Amino acid sequence: MKRISIIGYATLLLASVVYAQESTPAPPPAEPPGALEHSGMSRSNPPSQAVVPVPVPITPPKPNGPVQKSLVRITATAVDPDYKAPWNAGALQRGVGAGFVISGNRIMTNAHVVANSRYITVERDGDPNKYPAQVLFIANDCDLALITVPAKDFFKNMLPLKLGGIPTLESTVSAYGYPIGGERMSVTTGIVSRIDFQLYTHSSVDQHLAIQISAQINPGNSGGPVMQDGKVVGVAFQGYSGDVAQGVAYMIPTPVINRFLKDISNGQYDEYPDLAITYAKLQNPAQRKYLGLKDDDRGVLVGSVVTAGPSDGILKSGDVLLSIDGHPIASDANVEMDGERSQFEEVVERKFKGDSVKVDILRDKQPMTVTIKLFKPWPYSIQGHSYDVRPRYVLYGGLLFQPLNLDMLEAYRTSDLRLRHYFEYFILDQIYVDHPDVIVLSNILPDPINSYLTPYRGGIVDEVNGKKIRTLAELSEAFAQAPERLVIRMIGDGPPLVLDRNKVEAARERIKTRYNVLKEQNLEDKPASRIAAAEDQR
Amino acid sequence: MRRHSFIAFSIVVIAVSTTLAKKEPAIPTTASAPKEVALVRVNVTGQGYDYFRPWQKKAPFSKRALGAVLPKGRVLVTADLVTNQNYVELERAETGEKTAANVRVIDYEANLALLEPAEKSFLDGIAPLEITSDTVVGDRLAAWQLEPTGALLATEGLVTTIQMMPYPVDIGQFLTYRVSIPMQYRENSYTVPLVKNNKLAGLLLRYDSRSQLLDAIPAPVITHFLKDADGQNYRGFPSAGFSFFPTRDPALREYAGDKGKRGVYITNVEAGTPANKAGLKVGDIVTAVGSHDIDENGNYVDPLYGKIEFTNLLTAHAYSGDVIPFHLQRDGKPMQLNLTLEHREAKDYVSPPYSLDQPPKYYVLGGLIFQELSRQYLKEWGPNWQREAPQRLVYMDHFQSELFPERNRRVVILSQVLPANSTIGYDDLAYLTVSKVNGKEIKSLDDLAEAVKQPVEGFIKIETEEDPKQIELDASQVTAEAPSLQENYGISSLQRLQ
Repeated sequence: MKRISIIGYATLLLASVVYAQESTPAPPPAEPPGALEHSGMSRSNPPSQAVVPVPVPITPPKPNGPVQKSLVRITATAVDPDYKAPWNAGALQRGVGAGFVISGNRIMTNAHVVANSRYITVERDGDPNKYPAQVLFIANDCDLALITVPAKDFFKNMLPLKLGGIPTLESTVSAYGYPIGGERMSVTTGIVSRIDFQLYTHSSVDQHLAIQISAQINPGNSGGPVMQDGKVVGVAFQGYSGDVAQGVAYMIPTPVINRFLKDISNGQYDEYPDLAITYAKLQNPAQRKYLGLKDDDRGVLVGSVVTAGPSDGILKSGDVLLSIDGHPIASDANVEMDGERSQFEEVVERKFKGDSVKVDILRDKQPMTVTIKLFKPWPYSIQGHSYDVRPRYVLYGGLLFQPLNLDMLEAYRTSDLRLRHYFEYFILDQIYVDHPDVIVLSNILPDPINSYLTPYRGGIVDEVNGKKIRTLAELSEAFAQAPERLVIRMIGDGPPLVLDRNKVEAARERIKTRYNVLKEQNLEDKPASRIAAAEDQR
Repeated sequence: MRRHSFIAFSIVVIAVSTTLAKKEPAIPTTASAPKEVALVRVNVTGQGYDYFRPWQKKAPFSKRALGAVLPKGRVLVTADLVTNQNYVELERAETGEKTAANVRVIDYEANLALLEPAEKSFLDGIAPLEITSDTVVGDRLAAWQLEPTGALLATEGLVTTIQMMPYPVDIGQFLTYRVSIPMQYRENSYTVPLVKNNKLAGLLLRYDSRSQLLDAIPAPVITHFLKDADGQNYRGFPSAGFSFFPTRDPALREYAGDKGKRGVYITNVEAGTPANKAGLKVGDIVTAVGSHDIDENGNYVDPLYGKIEFTNLLTAHAYSGDVIPFHLQRDGKPMQLNLTLEHREAKDYVSPPYSLDQPPKYYVLGGLIFQELSRQYLKEWGPNWQREAPQRLVYMDHFQSELFPERNRRVVILSQVLPANSTIGYDDLAYLTVSKVNGKEIKSLDDLAEAVKQPVEGFIKIETEEDPKQIELDASQVTAEAPSLQENYGISSLQRLQ
């Protein structure tokens, strides 16, 4: 619930570079016969020449069984939207990650391996073919995705893996994947170092449980299984690059994976619900006494309640949360669940949209019990990355208007104090109430009609012809119904931006042609790749 | 959207010409070069205030610089040099003779200060520098420095630009000479006079050794300072209290009802300022100030410099109290307003832009440290404070006129927490803005000091704008713990409210 918008902690482990050997259309590694064999497949072929040494094929550590029968290598070609020229398709990216087969002819991987993808192929051990694959479900908020291979018989020889529980601290785990350093499957082992909430950098706004392991995992490990006793205990997904911290890697633990699988069981992914509150630990004795709390180390203090969230009207700033669904909340915000101590959000984390949570609170020293029906509050989405959507924008008279969000902010690398403030405090200062879209005049395509308008760049639209503008759709509407003169007021005390509609109309084609603008606006957040995927299926 | 200065200075043209007329005849003395260079060394020891530990001062610094000897036994230096000084000493260049000096007048905004030697006779035998205000682009100015022997080291440079630029405390803009000059490093090159025909033309403001460009405080600003300093009370440079925008854009001009092709669009008028009192409004187009027309870029034609921003029109020669006619177009109709200029002091801002030579206010309450937001505090984060200081506070400082239009308040912040028994669990709190204490609204540190004296049922409740929104302390524990807190953290006094 306490989400932070600091950008880029750990790095994702997707090998996003296309390696040299990949780009050369050379045939698959043509090693001398018998020199390097795909493990487990070729025992029957004795080396043609009995020469030593026989390179030992990678044999999986015994406890986990033949993992190569479950592991796949995923190559995804993605189109990342161009927030600076949002009418363009965007830049092509190619990445390599891992995935593993689970029940129901499905392959589990990370969302960041297949996000924004336009074409996905899957390879497996001992099979020279590349199989086209499709995304079934993608959960960008917890960095998981399910894909499948339509080709008949693909799954016939594959062994679906089973999911385990949360491994104990210091127990040994093995990570499988296709990290840099070679073509074939790699295994590394390590121990479970820490179990804690972490920022998931794929969306960079969501925090969930994550397990830190000491196994070396590197770009290309993304989406690969981390196993213990023949069961999957996690999906490798992010880590720190070597110049930040050594040997710190994270995997997505099974509670998160199971939740994802359960969420999609109704045919769609509904995302994580959230209480949408901020809270503070209650460790100060005077504060506890003031609030009328017993000396029992229980309770956390509600700071802000987001009005666009499910707790609005139910919880208030100053309430003390005492227990959640029967789990007592300690004053350091932890609860005990399944014998593990974890942050009390974990209770909400395992719930689904539409579920309820029962919270015992203390309000003005009076105990109360409230029930909160959960859903996902929308305002957080601007503070995270978006995937598989086309950027929204309106281009009018060469002026590009875009709603403020993380992707847009990163694309322009703005240091503008006001923009950064509106972004950081979008939720806490309730900016979203008056400005569900913080519409920024982000760029100007130069044309005689806008030659004097450069100083307005970076401004946030407040009103057009005296009417407050709350959303991009309203702005588009205001432009469409413009009288002869348009007066755009920006937030702050700058001058108004004045446009002559007739001149703008006259310049439209000219600007479109000059800058190769295919479409003057996109108001819908909706799909980019899904359309293509749907067409593929037909 | 470039924000133009709030400050507008005014010129009374007659004043310019008279000043020039008075000074011109002084040239004849060229024949006899002064026996001793009109420079003294200035040695300063000082200590800045430590805003992170507001009860103490920072480690002492010392600076060696030069001062320009002016008539009436005065020495001119930059304000920078003597800011936060403990002791100022003058040293004769050739003999090395020393005497203590007092700072008589200091203007932080114009970055100028006047020193007076404790011994009146100390400057005897030095022919003081006269001031020349006629420098124009293309003139050559000599930067005067001293060799260790006391001999003059003069380096010549070319005046490349004369325009309005920000000064170190960043309140508005002042006229500045930009000089292309290969300066040499000398031990005491802090305040360096720029000289033309043996007369003082400017004083070094900043120098960039890579581009070899020097910015100088020009003679007209110095003259203004000196004239003001001659009066009973130093008033400081006047300000008008509006911001403006050029009207290059024909659409904007037409919208504002401007018929001609000139003037600036008024974008903001701050409450209580001269512009506000005179009735200037947002949307007005100011077409002329005094008898000078303003073009669509905000420039007027100066008899000496040619086109220059109209804020300079006002620069060196208008004083607080002067009445300046503003000609404007409002809704297409011509109007005239008379602005009575006033100096706006740093304390008249919600977040004071500078606070020098005075100790910061603070209040320590059981390990919680409260301070008032000021740019001086933010500058404690170093030269990149705008990026490195807490961004929410930088935002409040930067947009203060917009966020606090009523102006008559301060922003009280909980700046840090010293771990103590009464603050267990609060250790990580910092940079929170305080809205209420014990139910009373807080608009200054004095409000806070008053409010904490009235605990509610033994508790002091502090409410903040940001999370956690509320902090409670046990009033008696705070009192009981105060002595050990002072001792542990070396806090000489738990409060300074002045």
